[in-house]
Amino acid sequence: MKRITIVAAAFLIAAAAFAAWGTAAPGGKVAALAGPAAAPKKPAKPKLPALPSDVKKRKKWLIGVKCDFSPFGFIDVRGNNDGYDVQVARRFASLAFGNKKKVDFTCVTTPSRIPTLMSGRVDIIVSTLTWTAARAEQIDFSIPYYSAVGRLLVPNNSSLGIASLGGKTIVTTRGAIYATWTANCFKNSTLLQVDSPALAVAAVKDGRADTFMFDDAFLLGVATQDATLRLTGDKFLNVPWGIGIRKGDVAMSRWVNAALRYMKKKDEFVKILRANAPARLVPGFLDNVPRPKNTFAYPVGKDVASICP
Amino acid sequence: MPEWADPVAHYMIHEGLPTTLRIAAYAVIGSTLIGVLLGTLLTIRFWPLQALIRLYVEVWRGLPILVTIFIVYFALPTAPLIHHRFGAITGAAIGLILWGSAQVAEATRGAVQSIPREQHEAAAALGFGWIGRHRSVILPQALRRLLPPLVSLLANIIQNTTIASLIGVTELLATGQRSIERLQLTPPGDSHAFAIYAALLVAFFCISFPLTRLAIFLERRLV
Amino acid sequence: MTLAASFDWQFIWDHIPDFWTGLKATLKVAAIGIGGSLAIGIVLGAARAHKIPVLSWVAAIYVEVIRNTPILVQIFFIAGGLTQIPGHPIRLDPFTIAWLAVMIWGGAYNTENFRAGFEAVPWRYREAGLALGFSRLATFINVTLPIGARIALPSSINTYVSVLKNTSLLTAIGFAELTDTAYSLDSQSFKPSEVYFALGATYLLVVWTLSALLRLVERRLAIPETR
Repeated sequence: MKRITIVAAAFLIAAAAFAAWGTAAPGGKVAALAGPAAAPKKPAKPKLPALPSDVKKRKKWLIGVKCDFSPFGFIDVRGNNDGYDVQVARRFASLAFGNKKKVDFTCVTTPSRIPTLMSGRVDIIVSTLTWTAARAEQIDFSIPYYSAVGRLLVPNNSSLGIASLGGKTIVTTRGAIYATWTANCFKNSTLLQVDSPALAVAAVKDGRADTFMFDDAFLLGVATQDATLRLTGDKFLNVPWGIGIRKGDVAMSRWVNAALRYMKKKDEFVKILRANAPARLVPGFLDNVPRPKNTFAYPVGKDVASICP
Repeated sequence: MPEWADPVAHYMIHEGLPTTLRIAAYAVIGSTLIGVLLGTLLTIRFWPLQALIRLYVEVWRGLPILVTIFIVYFALPTAPLIHHRFGAITGAAIGLILWGSAQVAEATRGAVQSIPREQHEAAAALGFGWIGRHRSVILPQALRRLLPPLVSLLANIIQNTTIASLIGVTELLATGQRSIERLQLTPPGDSHAFAIYAALLVAFFCISFPLTRLAIFLERRLV
Repeated sequence: MTLAASFDWQFIWDHIPDFWTGLKATLKVAAIGIGGSLAIGIVLGAARAHKIPVLSWVAAIYVEVIRNTPILVQIFFIAGGLTQIPGHPIRLDPFTIAWLAVMIWGGAYNTENFRAGFEAVPWRYREAGLALGFSRLATFINVTLPIGARIALPSSINTYVSVLKNTSLLTAIGFAELTDTAYSLDSQSFKPSEVYFALGATYLLVVWTLSALLRLVERRLAIPETR
């Protein structure tokens, strides 16, 4: 009996040790500062509304981002989050606290981002979130921070185009606006839905799908890397992306929109774009980011996904 | 190790593995506590209670774990009465606990019922009431018989934490996949998917195999 | 009651055809998986029980690897890892990956089930078979297999039901089975309560029915002494 108690106790201690080890590990990427915080250059501090109290009390942001969607949200070689969305999030941290490290990231996927936002685990989601009327019923959107265009990725030898999709297999990520659009407008095509963009690319390369319908920025990155794939000339579904905010969280909306407006005025989005896209592709994307002279608007009242070519 | 492997291994071991073990720890502890309780209650000959617990056990053992986790993480928070939402890790842990506790309940019922009638009678003769009898005589013996299946359950749960990757948790499998995606988009574009998935298989094997061996050893020694 | 009032039963009704399509895919893959597991279980279980050289060791490694690694990782390995073998990439379509993965998984567990079953056949029966002039193979087919398979029936039934449940994980590679259908439906419609209630109810129906059917088979085939 004694030996058994010892075995059982060892088992429970081991389980507790694992739990402790797990909880001790950092959840997001808040690197401990080795030295004093770098003295900020202190540009004129923008006049932003009051920071929402939760964030202020916590002294850092909790932001949900994509981790599988280059170049907006991905994991770099050191295991840190990086990308356009991530850098927008870091800018929020520096605008709120003067330190771009004051943010913890949580990885989200398209199906899990809205539940994660609603769970309170994150303050906002900057996760390639295209505006749709259905999503706008669940959550609030900030003003746009990027505008994506839909493209088709095909193998080099394919002569597919938007007009010839009948009877073909289209792959996209689950819950994406492209899935709805395909279901509405290409009823005699087969729709394949996968959980990550990488799986969709694999589907095209392996012949399981004829084309990957997705956002231009990601697809261009893939096509540049992979000589066996290319983009067709078709462009469609130009809908802006917004930052996801819990419904009714007025303080958060006010702050986020003010921050975005400030960044737009200072043309900061172009800087972030340049940091995340290869130099020769940047000119093609200058119209996709908010700039002082352009405006993006959500297609409110129009169900873009049911407007067929 | 080849050059690409170092950052991958570092990321997987420092980000993925702790999350996996954390979820597993919550799930095992929760399953054991709830399962032992339910299993013991299952031995009481009070049919409404039996029916209720039996329903619980059959539902959570009958549903695939993924479906349970989907229900808990996506559907449950929107149900009336439950207006609290929780994070993905909690959702995955609750889903695993529902399944695990059903398994443990079955095993506990079997273990308690395998204690010979004479033990109950002797304890009753010595003046123990139902609770006292179970606490001091029946359960200690039953729990001993429960140890091998509990160790197996730990191994199973650690493997099943990979299901959490499907609701967005960054556990071991997910860190491997993020690394594959990163490598695919970095020149020269070789994702090393074969090696990384093989490494995942090896990693899980190294964690699970000793546990299953331990379970077999305990079974031989205790029962 | 507000729960019943706000629950959109019409939504579920409207999408029954989608669920049915998904269910058909699930059942197809499960059927192939169960059949394959049965075959693998008998062959490799026999090899292990009779300690056939080489095959027994290969089977042992196969069993230990599959049983000690997560099936989800196995699925991704078959789907993504095999396409990256330097020189000989193996590309499979989702349906093939689906039945292959569940069959490989079920086969490993079933090998153990049948090994235990064959080893539990009392030696005197096998001795009698050999004494009557049956070859080792004939003894196996006429004596060990019928009795051992029946002994293995309860545990292999568990494995078959698990194979059916494991098909749900194939949503990870985009195979359009039942869970995948529900998951995609929720992503588009934002009606998780309705969708996952329907999904859960469907699985319970199918799993309980399969269990009951297999248990019926078990009762018919059970060895008289054990009944």
